[in-house]
Amino acid sequence: MKLELRDVRFQYPTGVLALDGVSLSIGSGEAVALIGENGAGKTTLAKLLNGLLRPTSGTVLVGEDDTRRHTPAQLSRRVGFVFQNPDDQLFARTVRDEVAFGPRNQRLSSGEVQARVDRALDDVGLRPAIDRHPYDLTAPERKRVALAAALAMHTPALILDEPTIGQDAGGVDRLGALVDGLHAEGRTLIAITHDVDFCLEHFERVVVMAGGRILADGPATEVLKDLERLQQAQVEPPELVQLALGLGWETMPHTPDEFAVLLANHRT
Amino acid sequence: MTGDGSARSDAALRLHPLTSLGFNLLAVVAGASLPSAPLVLAVFLGLLVPMAALARRLGAFLRTCARVLWPFVVSLVLIQGFFTPGPSVLFRLGPFNYTLQGLEVALLFSARLLVGLGAATLLMFITRPDALMRALVERGLPNQIAYIVVTTLQIVPTFQARAHAILDAQRSRGLETEGPLPVRLRAFVPLVGPLILSSLMEIEERAIALEARAFNRPGRRTSLVTLADSRLQALARWLMLLAALALIVVRFILWRAP
Amino acid sequence: MESAVIAVSGLRFRYAGAEQDALQGLDLSIGEGELVGVAGANESGKSTLCYALTGYVPHFFSGTLVGSVSIAGHDVTRTPVSLLAADIGLVFHNPFNQISGARTTVLEEVAFGLENLGVEQALLRPRSMQALRATGLDDLADRSPYTLSGGEQQRLAIAAVMAMQPKVLVLDEPTSQLDPAGTRAIFEVLRRLARDGRTTIVLTEHKLGWLAAFVDRLIVLHTGRLVADGPPRDVLAEAVEHTWGVGATRYTRAALAARRQGQLAAGTRLPVTLEQALEVLR
Repeated sequence: MKLELRDVRFQYPTGVLALDGVSLSIGSGEAVALIGENGAGKTTLAKLLNGLLRPTSGTVLVGEDDTRRHTPAQLSRRVGFVFQNPDDQLFARTVRDEVAFGPRNQRLSSGEVQARVDRALDDVGLRPAIDRHPYDLTAPERKRVALAAALAMHTPALILDEPTIGQDAGGVDRLGALVDGLHAEGRTLIAITHDVDFCLEHFERVVVMAGGRILADGPATEVLKDLERLQQAQVEPPELVQLALGLGWETMPHTPDEFAVLLANHRT
Repeated sequence: MTGDGSARSDAALRLHPLTSLGFNLLAVVAGASLPSAPLVLAVFLGLLVPMAALARRLGAFLRTCARVLWPFVVSLVLIQGFFTPGPSVLFRLGPFNYTLQGLEVALLFSARLLVGLGAATLLMFITRPDALMRALVERGLPNQIAYIVVTTLQIVPTFQARAHAILDAQRSRGLETEGPLPVRLRAFVPLVGPLILSSLMEIEERAIALEARAFNRPGRRTSLVTLADSRLQALARWLMLLAALALIVVRFILWRAP
Repeated sequence: MESAVIAVSGLRFRYAGAEQDALQGLDLSIGEGELVGVAGANESGKSTLCYALTGYVPHFFSGTLVGSVSIAGHDVTRTPVSLLAADIGLVFHNPFNQISGARTTVLEEVAFGLENLGVEQALLRPRSMQALRATGLDDLADRSPYTLSGGEQQRLAIAAVMAMQPKVLVLDEPTSQLDPAGTRAIFEVLRRLARDGRTTIVLTEHKLGWLAAFVDRLIVLHTGRLVADGPPRDVLAEAVEHTWGVGATRYTRAALAARRQGQLAAGTRLPVTLEQALEVLR
């Protein structure tokens, strides 16, 4: 199921032009990271992909469907969205009910709903909290509940808005493993993130945005070493890239282990 | 608040906040005391509307009043009309009589609602909450109470902003909000929950934020802005107070209408 | 010898109704003008420490506190919080919730604290604008605080407390919502405040790379205990040997991977910054 923006312009009612002629095509099963400074248009682009916003001009396609002709609720079966602030959605008395909300809207049997809830909470490491009140959890835990709620909907595509914010090292590692797992399952993943190190390690494709336009779009290792473009977008290159460039390398490693392998190759 | 997010209140009206508060309170008292719908409507048209026009917010003011009021007016006209007994029957619907007296009662209540709502809306349009807070504190109201008054007045815009974010989140999880009325009504529950819960959660953190700004510190406070006032406005406030008292006296002693 | 601006001794705290101590016997001494980072896994006690340094623990969050906490000459365990705000500033964790709600523009929001402190009227606007410039918000001075993005709200909270010019500034994950450019701006402001303004600053962070580059001293908390205290490089290298949940910069991880694959001598000092990594791996 492809996701596509064709020459999209988007202007908020206040007059702010958030997207100025953006074209982007994301194939089924791709893992794409959207980076760029605050205000570059990343969240606007993401909200266009699930129909929360409709383009001022241009077309947004989810599969074969024009988002103008569907409600966000209809599109939510195909494109899941995890928001930055989990407190915007938590309303149930238990974590279980919260995570079950999405699947119940999809009219699944109660057995199927339960199975999905269990699996989603396992994926985010919160199964023990299943009967607790969401507001008794800490803020980073609530964020993981929101993630589980989206996972439980089993959408072919999933958009994550700043998933690593507030997570500690263990939380980021867990998230990375989850992203890798979802990618292996064939889900289409789009993540908006400031964490370029996380980007490099888990996403094969990176799109850099600035001022409502796409500045660069390509493989992570290529885009994240293009210092000029990154500078334009006010983005700093990942630590591993800075290290590799500092050592005079042409090829960038994705992970510390890959780095060590490249180091060995360079030395022989 | 203007469309671009800037919060400059209109410079056309440099009213001291207590003057605008007094003005709106007078309108409410008049609306509550006058005995017939046309008189109450005259308060709306003669006091509130011109003030809104002077503040250049007439369009937004009228739209807000209309938008919030119409469901109440419709239910009042229906319920009072059919269930108020009276001699002049306008028409029949099955076993129910629609009386003129019922219609009159409905119109009077509607007019009073219009004035009450209009005054509250107008106050929000022409007075900045923080200016009102400063004015109240200057007059001796404790900081904490002035704060409660001011934040209560701001509840609607605060809720609106949050409600929008919450609506987006729930729609993205399959909550259908477009379509026939029953669908839209059912959408309410997953919206109200987060709004209330997160607002309650916020209270504790908001209290910490206030402490961090020395809100409860004893001692002298200074002010970024000096509130514009004049003898004319002070006089006007006294006159409005007298007028309000007079209306109350007259209503209870002379008119004795419902 | 510098007298300590922050002097904590034997600090233990348990929240009311909790089964375990949130902080277990902390000793900490920080001098004027130091910029100290605090790292640790979530729920290791970082936020509780921030509250303890500013008096919210025990005055706001009930519980039992043992030990002494002296900040900028105040015994914060006894002095009410309302009397501390002039000298001790707190920017706490949740960025979405630090708007006072009492003011309608960003500028007034920043001036609010100064008004409460009784700062003379002529200084209110200049000091507020200065804080807004330092945090890159001067363009937004006339906007309503409610229309700001999460990152902008976070910077506003920092500006509002900075404007009050406290002697001690405590910040709990102040850059969580910010992009790298915003994060850099805040770290630079904090460094300037510490070096030139002689403000004593304590900040908790997950972003180790930034801590390693900007702070002179790093503390690690683990299940309520202070387990490390020293220069960032030493502390983060030590963290690798333990399960404190602090993580490591990619520079450290690259060096560790190199060591595992026999590309780096076993005794080499682990790097935490780019410069150190290049030195070690060239």
